[in-house]
Amino acid sequence: MRVAYFSPLPPDRSGIADYSALLLPALSERIDVKVVRRGARRPPFRTDVALYQVGNNPEAHDWIVRALRRQSGVVVLHDFVLHHLVAGMTLGTGDRRAYLTALEREAGVLGRMLGHAVADGSIAPLWETRAEEFPLVHWVLDHAEGVIVHSGYVEWRVRAAGYTGPVWRVPMPVPPPPPARDPGLPQGAPLIGSLGHLNEAKRVPQLLEAFVLLRQTRPEALLVLAGWTSPRLALDERLSRLGLERGRDVLVLDYVPEDRLWNLIRRCDVCVSLRSPTMGETSGMVVRMLAVGTPVVVSDVGWFSELPDSVAAKVPVDRWEVETLAAMLDLLAGDDDLRRRMGEAGRELARSHHAVGHVADLYTAALEEVAGRDEVELTVLRDVAQAAGEVGLTPDSAEIETLTKRLREVGIGG
Amino acid sequence: MRIAVCLPQVPFARGGAEILAERLVQELQARDHEATLVTVPFKWYPGTRALSQAFLWRMLDLEEVDGRPIDRVIATKFPSYVVRHPNKIVWLVHQLRQAYDLDRTEFRQFGERPLDRATRRALHRLDRLALGEARRVFAISRNVADRLERYLGMQAEVLVPPPQNLAYRCDEYGDFILSVGRLDRAKRVDLLLEAVAGDEKAKAVVVGDGPDRERLERLAKSHGLDGRVRFTGHVDGAALADLYAGCLGVYYAPIDEDFGLVPYEAFLAEKPVVTTVDAGGPTEIVVDRESGLVCSPSASAVREAVSWLAAHRDEAQRWGRHGKSLAEQVTWNAAVERLLGS
Repeated sequence: MRVAYFSPLPPDRSGIADYSALLLPALSERIDVKVVRRGARRPPFRTDVALYQVGNNPEAHDWIVRALRRQSGVVVLHDFVLHHLVAGMTLGTGDRRAYLTALEREAGVLGRMLGHAVADGSIAPLWETRAEEFPLVHWVLDHAEGVIVHSGYVEWRVRAAGYTGPVWRVPMPVPPPPPARDPGLPQGAPLIGSLGHLNEAKRVPQLLEAFVLLRQTRPEALLVLAGWTSPRLALDERLSRLGLERGRDVLVLDYVPEDRLWNLIRRCDVCVSLRSPTMGETSGMVVRMLAVGTPVVVSDVGWFSELPDSVAAKVPVDRWEVETLAAMLDLLAGDDDLRRRMGEAGRELARSHHAVGHVADLYTAALEEVAGRDEVELTVLRDVAQAAGEVGLTPDSAEIETLTKRLREVGIGG
Repeated sequence: MRIAVCLPQVPFARGGAEILAERLVQELQARDHEATLVTVPFKWYPGTRALSQAFLWRMLDLEEVDGRPIDRVIATKFPSYVVRHPNKIVWLVHQLRQAYDLDRTEFRQFGERPLDRATRRALHRLDRLALGEARRVFAISRNVADRLERYLGMQAEVLVPPPQNLAYRCDEYGDFILSVGRLDRAKRVDLLLEAVAGDEKAKAVVVGDGPDRERLERLAKSHGLDGRVRFTGHVDGAALADLYAGCLGVYYAPIDEDFGLVPYEAFLAEKPVVTTVDAGGPTEIVVDRESGLVCSPSASAVREAVSWLAAHRDEAQRWGRHGKSLAEQVTWNAAVERLLGS
C-alpha cells in the first residue's frame, strides 16, 4: 500500500514539521510512504491514499490544503480552529469570494455578512477576535475521507461539526529524550518551569501572579520562563509591577535549543503548561514533560483535561485560577513523594501511549482502513445484494430496510 | 433460562470449539436450563468473504423464537459473536486469527493489496463493535485475552473450559507418545515425527484428521517410520480414552494456540504433556518439570523431551498425577456459574 504524505518538513520551523520528521521513519517501516515535495498540487501517480497534515498556519499549509481540496484523503487535524489558515488561503490571496463562501458554509447568512465586514475592513479580523466561534474547519472536513485527531476534545468538536466519516484518535508522539546534562541554572527550591511560547493564551500573567503567592510561603522559589515572548505580554513591565526581579526571581530565557529544553524540563521540580482559550491543540511540550517524569500543572481545558489525574494537576480556568494554581504549586513543591509518583505515572503514560512506534501503528491502521474501504464495502454489498436478489427480495421489499440497517451496524455502507 | 449457544460451523471440521459448545449445551441442560446450539456454516476466504459470512450472524433474530424470548446468547468464536442480542455473553474461543497474529506469517490470509489490508481492518472494527456490545466477555485462556487486549485494547475475563467427558483413566505408561488434534500445519505434528525419527526406540500415535495429514504421512514414510508412527484418523471417545490410558505422555505444541483441551485431557489420564515455549495457551497449563516438559520448538528439543520421558517413567507418573490434581479443579459448575452470573 502506497501513501502520499503531505506535510511541512524541516528545515521549516514548526511543530508539525518536527512531528513529521519524528513520525516518518517509523511509518516508513510499516507502509510504503512517498513524501510529497513542497508545492505539489496532487498526490503522485499510483498512490493508494493521501495523508494531509493540516495546521492553522497558511504559510506552511496553504499548498497542502489546496492539494487536499483537489483530491480527498486522510486529514490529520492538528488544530480544530482553522480560521487563520482559511483567511490566508482566501483573503490573503485576494480571493474574497472564497472567504465569504467558507463563512457562509459555517454560519449561514450571518457568516457571509461578517465576512463582507472583515473584507471591507469595517470590523476587526475574525481570526484575531472570534476564531473560536468561526473555526472554518469545514474547509478541510468537506474533503476528508477520514480524520486523525490527537484528543477526544477535537474528536467531539469534529463530530459536533457534523462530520460523519471515520475519526481516529492518535496520541502525539514523543521524541527520544537526549542524554541528561546540567542545563546551567542557578539553584532554586523549588524550581518552577514554563516552557514554550510566552503569551496571554498560555496564561503567563496568571502564572506570574500565582508565583508571587507561592513566594510568600516559599521565598526561595525560582521561576524559569523559556521561549519566544509575545511583545503584547509586556513581560518586563509585569514583572516590575509584581515586584519580581528578572534574573533573581524569574529567569527569562529566549529560544532554547532542543537539547537544553529537555534538560530544563528535567531540572524543574514542577512544570506549568496553561492554556486558554484552546484551539483544540495538543502540547508537544507537555508530552516531553511526561516523558522525563517532571510533574506538570495544566489548565483544565481541551486535550489537557484528558490527561490522567495521576500525571497532571489541572487548574480550572475560573475566577480562582491564580489562587488554585498557587496552592497546587505549593502542594507539589512540598511533597517529594507526590512529585515522584506523578513523574513515574507520566513516564509510563509516555511509554505506553506516546511512543513513536505505537503512534505509527495507529496511523497504519487508519490508512489501511481508508485505502481499500470502498472496495471492501462494494464487495460485501455485492455479495449481500446478490443473495437478497436470489431469494426474491426487490429494492422495495420491507426486508431491504432491515438489511441496510444491519449492514450499517457493522460498518458497511454507512 | 432459555439460552442459545452460538457456534460457526466449518462443514466437515470438528475440533475443540465444537466439543466445547456441545458440552456447554449439555451442561446447561443438566442444570435445568433450556439450551440449544445455534450454528451457521462459515467460510472465511477468499477476500472479504469473512465479512459477508459474519453478516449472516447479524441477520439472525435470536431475541425470541415461537413467541417466547431467548433470555441469553452465549457466543463462542468468530463470527458467532456478531449476533445481536440484549443479553449477549461471549466465551471467546478465538477471533479470526488471520486478521491478527497470523497476519504476515506463513499462515496469512490477507496480502498487501489495499483491499486485503482494509478487509483486515474492517474485521478489527467489526470485532470491536460486536465484542463491545456483549454484557460480558470471557476468554478461554490468558493467551486469547492478551491478544484481544493487544490488538483491540479490549478486556476479557479468563474462563478456562473444562475438558470433554471421557472415561479418563491411567492403565500404564506405555511405549508411545500420543498426539491429539486437527492435523493442520499450525499444530506442528511434524516436530513430533522428526523427533521420533531421531530416536529409534520412540513411537507415536497421531489421532485426528485434517488438511496436513497427507503431508505428515509422507513425512513419516520418508523417515522410514512405518511401524513406529500410527495415524488413526478421527477416533471415538472410548478409543481416545484407551489411547490416553495407555500412552507414556502426550505431545501438544501448536503455534501460539489459543487454548486446546488436550493438556487437561492428558492430565485427567495422569499423563505428562510435552509442549513448546511458543505454544501459547498450553504453556499456561503445563509447568516445566512439574506437569510435563516445556521445550524449545525444534525437532531435537522435542526428541530430547520424548527420550527423557521414556527413560524417567517415575517422573512421568509423578508429573501426570500432579497434572490431574490441577485438571480436577476445572469444573463445569464453576464455568456455568460465571457464564450465567449477572
